[in-house]
Amino acid sequence: MPILEASGIRKQFGGVVALAGADFSLDAGAVHALIGSNGCGKSTLCKIIAGSVAADAGTIRLDGNPVSFSDPQEAAAAGIGVFYQELSLVRPMTVAENIYLGREPRMRTGLLDRDALRSQAENALEQFRSVIGTGVHPDARVADLSADQSQLIEILKVLAANPRIIILDEATAALDRNQVDAVFHRIRALKADGCAIIFITHRMDEVFEIADRVTVMRNGLTVLSQPIGQTSHDEIVAAMVGDVMPPARRERKHVPAQETALEVEQLSAAKLAGVSFKARRGEILGLGGLHGQGQSALLRALFGALPLKAGSIQVDGKRLAPKGPRTVMRRSIAYVSGDRARHGVMAIRPIFENLVISLLSRERRVVVQTERLERETRPFIERLKLKFSSLQATVAELSGGNQQKVVLARWLATHPSVLLLDDPTKGIDIQTKEDLYSTMDELCSQGVCILLHSSDDEELLGISDRVLVFNGGRIVAELTGEQRNRQALYEAAYATAPAAA
Amino acid sequence: MKSTLRLSGHRHPYLMAAVVFLVLCVVNAILQPSFLKFGVATSNVAAFLPMALVAIGQTYVVLASDIDLSAGAIVSVVNVVVVSIIEGMGGTGASIAAGLTLGIAVGLICGAVNGLCVAYLRFQPIVTTFATGIVFAGFALWVLPEAGRQVPPEFYLAYAGTVLGVPTVLWILLAAIAFAGVIARTRFYQALRATGGNIQAAYQTGVPVARVRLRAYLLSGLFAALAGLALVGETASGDPLIGGALTLASVTAVVLGGTALSGCIGGVAGSILGAFILGLINNVIFFAQLPFAWQGLIQGLIILAALAGGVVMARGRQET
Ligand SMILES: Nc1ncnc2c1ncn2[C@@H]1O[C@H](COP(=O)(O)OP(=O)(O)O)[C@@H](O)[C@H]1O
Ligand SMILES: [Mg+2]
Repeated sequence: MPILEASGIRKQFGGVVALAGADFSLDAGAVHALIGSNGCGKSTLCKIIAGSVAADAGTIRLDGNPVSFSDPQEAAAAGIGVFYQELSLVRPMTVAENIYLGREPRMRTGLLDRDALRSQAENALEQFRSVIGTGVHPDARVADLSADQSQLIEILKVLAANPRIIILDEATAALDRNQVDAVFHRIRALKADGCAIIFITHRMDEVFEIADRVTVMRNGLTVLSQPIGQTSHDEIVAAMVGDVMPPARRERKHVPAQETALEVEQLSAAKLAGVSFKARRGEILGLGGLHGQGQSALLRALFGALPLKAGSIQVDGKRLAPKGPRTVMRRSIAYVSGDRARHGVMAIRPIFENLVISLLSRERRVVVQTERLERETRPFIERLKLKFSSLQATVAELSGGNQQKVVLARWLATHPSVLLLDDPTKGIDIQTKEDLYSTMDELCSQGVCILLHSSDDEELLGISDRVLVFNGGRIVAELTGEQRNRQALYEAAYATAPAAA
Repeated sequence: MKSTLRLSGHRHPYLMAAVVFLVLCVVNAILQPSFLKFGVATSNVAAFLPMALVAIGQTYVVLASDIDLSAGAIVSVVNVVVVSIIEGMGGTGASIAAGLTLGIAVGLICGAVNGLCVAYLRFQPIVTTFATGIVFAGFALWVLPEAGRQVPPEFYLAYAGTVLGVPTVLWILLAAIAFAGVIARTRFYQALRATGGNIQAAYQTGVPVARVRLRAYLLSGLFAALAGLALVGETASGDPLIGGALTLASVTAVVLGGTALSGCIGGVAGSILGAFILGLINNVIFFAQLPFAWQGLIQGLIILAALAGGVVMARGRQET
């Protein structure tokens, strides 16, 4: 009998169906890998099992008995421990405080035993001592740790509760090979103790190394579940891809020119391990792959927001040294991020100020005429079909899609020759997406070179002229023509990453 | 374990307040030569005690990343209720006991109203406590439309007197510090900080975030009530407007003491220092014969400076 069984789980967030009747069954003493492309519902399924998100429909059985947890506390009491993909650490608090939050050791008086807290944390850290790096001690603040160190702390936090069902949602995403080995070592020991483990990862080699069984999810459904010995890499990828339909290609006016607009050679930086490629004028060059394999890092490196370790960049045949966004902007390169709140808009300032900020930063005059600035931005507002009540209204009043148009219009007004788009359609509506796509097409017809990173694979394959697939900070495949399909993309993206230099 | 000395950093949230406090003591001692005499020091503690008490309660709410803008109004309500009960019951010993008990109860009820609205009904803390503050203040005016009424001499003499040779006000302050010291070593306190630092993470870890926030508001209500009682002892009468200025003062004291308005970081010790700093600033304004209106101006400037400091620190962290 399975220790945990979820059946017919449904969940909708507004209009988005995250789970469409997913089934999942976990055996005691087994490691069960859960795999599937971004947004297929893995995390949501885990959160429902953990009681932190309520399902719309479906049943969960624990040891054969139906349960319904109304909050994570109840699930934890039932022995379920969760590593949250986005981590559940309180950054201003210390390592020890985080690991034992809610179960701090107490003295007979009922007050916290700080010495015991520290020494228990010290012991817990010992498990990962050889791989966790420097600066991690019980009194270190989590905010001062690196991403991989924080992930290891989250693992320790999950284990500190002695759960018998352990859910690890992309727990190895930021870890290096040695750290993964240390985690696997712990997982095997837990398995031997009879714990059941759900292991979510995007790395296929990890699945075959640690899992006893694998379940594949696609579009909110579990589409394949097999003992690991009875399946193969190809079968898993095929299940993730589903019916191989060529993505809808949209009509386009632009034809890439032969001239090279951007040439990158052996570019290395944090998360980039020697990337080389050429992009042509009038071309939409897609950057694909699993989340965080270097796509976004490349765009930020080109924009001078990420320091380079090595490599050269040429724009229109002339060398570019990206010493920060200002120098890059002068070379007619623009960067638009889908992370509007962080990189894009000044939400409480008027639309007009948001539009002209990029023009102003190039401006050499001290006094500027607002009429002239307005004249310069007007055509882009119209081209993007920006909807607003007045230019003096604040950006916060706009919908997400219209905010994104403001950011884009701001950059278009500087007449860029290379446009870097970093997941620009994240969280915006379909109509706005269409407006952005046709604007991109139009810009390419005028000879602009666009580098597009998108977390939406359909979009990426549908609008790019070529797609570079990133894996472990390198370009592992170039998809052109009919190769631009999910099958080819996933095969390259889920292949074992080449060893990092 | 290296620990670099950073002004008002996370490792030393109280450092800045301690330095400012010492500087102000020196300035005060220069302007008022009797400043360091025991009697004057005690009267200063008595004068600053209500503000310190409200600031202690406010600290718990702010640590959870909420805010209590009704704290001053709760002080007023408790003040007039206590005076009215004691006078209404004839000023006997029993009436004093009843007054004290009911005063505390009223403070807790006000805190519960705030906590239920914010933590369980998920209302905005700023708006909610601003609104309940208006209601509480209105209630205080309804109970006692203008300052007056008397408490029996036993009450204010005991408050101004000594116990075992130590002034009562000092006992109260020490008791409050001891209480805060105990609270700071409970699981509740860790849960409170976690809730303020990352409410989603706290919830996912199984921290009962709603209950934790409610308890913080109860503590704020409790300490506001104690401040109301202290003011009865101090003035020997009731005043429906007496707590008005204490809301802003308590928030200022908390911020001055190094507690982040974004929650999680800081603690009660800093807030007590902060309250004393504000009191000393007011003393300086008085002895330097500056206009009284400067008090509000200086408090406002302190909050601005603290907020700006927070922003600068956050930037510094992002860049590393
Ligand atoms: N809190 C939320 N609000 C709105 N949409 C959400 C929320 N959580 C998840 N989603 C959406 O549900 C879908 C599934 O997400 P998720 O479970 O995180 O996928 P995965 O973990 O497989 O990448 C995605 O389309 C995502 O955008
Ligand atoms: Mg996920």
